[in-house]
Amino acid sequence: MNQKLAAPAQASRNLILGALILLVGLGFGQVKAEEVIVLGHAEITEAYDPAHAFNPTSGMVNRVAYDTLVTFPDADASSIEPLLAESWSISDDGLVYTFHLRDDATFTNGDPLTAQDVVFSFNRLKHVRAQPSFLTDPIASIDALDERTVAITVTGPRPSFLAELANTAFSVTNASVVGANGGTDAEDAAETDTAQAYLNQTSAGTGAYVLQGWEPQDRTVLVRNPDYWGEQPFFDRVIIVNIPEAATQRVALVSGNIDLATDLTPDQVVALEGNDDIGIYLGPGRWTHFLLMNRDPGVGGPVSDPLVARAVRYALDYEGYRELWAGSVTPGSNMWIGLAGAYGQDEAMQRDLELARELLAEAGYPDGFEITLQYPDMTWAGVSTSTNAQKIQADLAEVGIAVRLLPGEVQVALEGYRSGEQGFAYWFWGPDKLDPVDFLEFLPGGKVAGERARWTEDGVDQSVMELIAQANEETDPDARMEIFAQLQDFAQEHSAFAPFNVPAVQTAFRAEIEGYVWHPQWGLDLALLSRAQ
Amino acid sequence: MPLYRYILRRVLFSIPLVLGITVVAFLIANAVPADPINANLPQSALNNEQLVAAFREKWGLDQPLHVQYFTYLGNLLRGDMGVSIRTGKPVLEDIRQFLPATMELATSAIVVGLLLGIGFGIVSAVWRSSPVDYLVRVFALIGVSFPVFLLALIGLSVLHAQLGWVAGPGRLSFLVTRPPEVTGLYTIDSLLAGQWSTLRDAASHLVLPSLVLGLYVSGIIARITRSSLLEVLNTDYIRTARAKGQLEVYIVLRHGLSNALIPVVTLLGVLYGNLLAGAVLTEAIFAWPGIGRYAYRAATSQDFPAIMGVSMLIALIYVIANFVVDLLYFLIDPRIRYS
Repeated sequence: MNQKLAAPAQASRNLILGALILLVGLGFGQVKAEEVIVLGHAEITEAYDPAHAFNPTSGMVNRVAYDTLVTFPDADASSIEPLLAESWSISDDGLVYTFHLRDDATFTNGDPLTAQDVVFSFNRLKHVRAQPSFLTDPIASIDALDERTVAITVTGPRPSFLAELANTAFSVTNASVVGANGGTDAEDAAETDTAQAYLNQTSAGTGAYVLQGWEPQDRTVLVRNPDYWGEQPFFDRVIIVNIPEAATQRVALVSGNIDLATDLTPDQVVALEGNDDIGIYLGPGRWTHFLLMNRDPGVGGPVSDPLVARAVRYALDYEGYRELWAGSVTPGSNMWIGLAGAYGQDEAMQRDLELARELLAEAGYPDGFEITLQYPDMTWAGVSTSTNAQKIQADLAEVGIAVRLLPGEVQVALEGYRSGEQGFAYWFWGPDKLDPVDFLEFLPGGKVAGERARWTEDGVDQSVMELIAQANEETDPDARMEIFAQLQDFAQEHSAFAPFNVPAVQTAFRAEIEGYVWHPQWGLDLALLSRAQ
Repeated sequence: MPLYRYILRRVLFSIPLVLGITVVAFLIANAVPADPINANLPQSALNNEQLVAAFREKWGLDQPLHVQYFTYLGNLLRGDMGVSIRTGKPVLEDIRQFLPATMELATSAIVVGLLLGIGFGIVSAVWRSSPVDYLVRVFALIGVSFPVFLLALIGLSVLHAQLGWVAGPGRLSFLVTRPPEVTGLYTIDSLLAGQWSTLRDAASHLVLPSLVLGLYVSGIIARITRSSLLEVLNTDYIRTARAKGQLEVYIVLRHGLSNALIPVVTLLGVLYGNLLAGAVLTEAIFAWPGIGRYAYRAATSQDFPAIMGVSMLIALIYVIANFVVDLLYFLIDPRIRYS
């Protein structure tokens, strides 16, 4: 009897104890503080709507707020990886790309991802006729074959198409949500689509984070998407604060106001070495600095002579630029150093002053000549063009070329560059698409070569033009490597350009921040970051 | 002359002034030999003629200059400043967003500048040629001649990062959310919402930038106050007051300062206008999302509507500031009333 009575009493005691443990457990569970990371960043964007945004800041944010069909590896552009498309095939004629979507991806509101969302997003990108709309130029049509299959027909063979699809402009948005907020993919979207304001404040994607708000020039806030189909990111909340001045970013980082500074200059990063509270990342960036030598004798004067151009390439002190900019590398050509098949520092030009002088003599300038170097007066990604220009001046003086420096206001200089009116100029270039074909811009038939340097197909060996034509069509990776190797050899001999340095990307963060990797497409993948406990 | 006629006359004078400014601003913005296409479309988009043509048409760049100007002027008269090429939003909306940050900073900076400047000016004038006077004059010289951006950086590195005495960059700590928007001035808005911790945070973030800008302002004001007060203190009526045995403090503050401040008031309009329009570097260093940054980015991206909008705004600020100054004259200087 007593036992029987005792049993319920025991049971209720256990129950109370259990509840207490549970409560305490829950309590502890809730005690776990929200993980927040604060980024100091010089904001460069006017929009977060993927169809309008085409800037570094929007690339970084949309990388985690949305997903694309395919993507690159975390650290480089060496291959194409699946993302929302788990597999794809290319028709034999290279015109039709068929993508099979994964079946577990959902939008942040719970809607499943469908082929119609892809069709809507890409058509909207095309028809709003905004900054990134040109990316859809190669697309002839997009069709949803079924709920999970999308076929994209391109207007002609386009080996770079998959790499182009990895651009965050091709983010897949939720068609019904965007449609309900004024979005349309109709042909008159440029006039009728009104979803930009909505998509600047929140995201409608399948990404690891959701855009929670944007106060332009002030801050952008992202919160973790708890239902993300992929791996959950570490941070619950990401606050990106706009700190335009690198010096202020440094102060904020050192004093612990921010966890990561995206825009420090090389000398600031060097100065932070040895600070135990700070971690540093240093790796080759995406900008190739080069000299342009106009092939039009009326514009370029002596440098229009291919022999002189070659002499200039031999006269530059490549090692000196590497010493000038910590972590920088010498490119083997105007093909961006991070692309599959690009010549790296090992295959790059070596300084040879003797050869340079011989070439100048052969071209009829044994005593050199005088020339004006035009360049935009600016500091870009921490590299001062004036510093480089002075070094160019000093390098070329050694072979008798007297360079007069003519710095210009950026927009004004750009005007001269784009109209092909600069004879001898210093510029830099980052690839628009992370595919080897980007290099073709710098070869006869390409826009930079033709319009900026007036280096046209006239007088270029037919076999070279055939090689360029092949490069524009070949999709087989191995065959492409071979073609681009030959084209880079050709450029080292005959080019109207002298690429001389790829400065480093440098980032500093609080020492406990882990997982930082710089990527040429989206800059920083916020979902890869974590904090050491 | 009665006050209303005085005001009316000043308003009428302002109209051709503002009109003239539209012409000058428009011509300068268009005289830059750069094409907004280059600044606003990515390199590869320039290949797409359709995109380029659509861009020109959308922003009216395909029209002759005088047509562009009169279209602009017509819209302006209807209160429409156009849409920013860069942000895609009405310029007026952009200005409304960025101006409060600058106003908050400029106002607190001018208060700091006035308090310090007048204080130092009085001390310096009363103890003329004493060590205190020399100290103040050196201080004023530094305030006027020291580059503001450098002072800002030193302030941030020393007072914030090393000593931790003042708050760092930004209008609020990065983890603090902004108060509900009423005026756009965070101090006022947080006060209205009763968010005391936000108010404290916003105010503490104002300290350093206000000090830096205020120091510059105070240097100028101290010099003017000093020389003006010295002049006044040598006049007959001050001597009379002294002869009457009045307290020196009373003489300086009541009889001396009230007259000595007239040139300071003149200066105030210009200084406040300067602070509102010219704090680009300070705003950049303190990560202060104000109108200076907006103007800088508009200029570098050839965003004509925004450049025009900011030019008009700055012009208006000067016109209004000077108008207010003239009104103050009217009130404090009886000679104007009777002229």
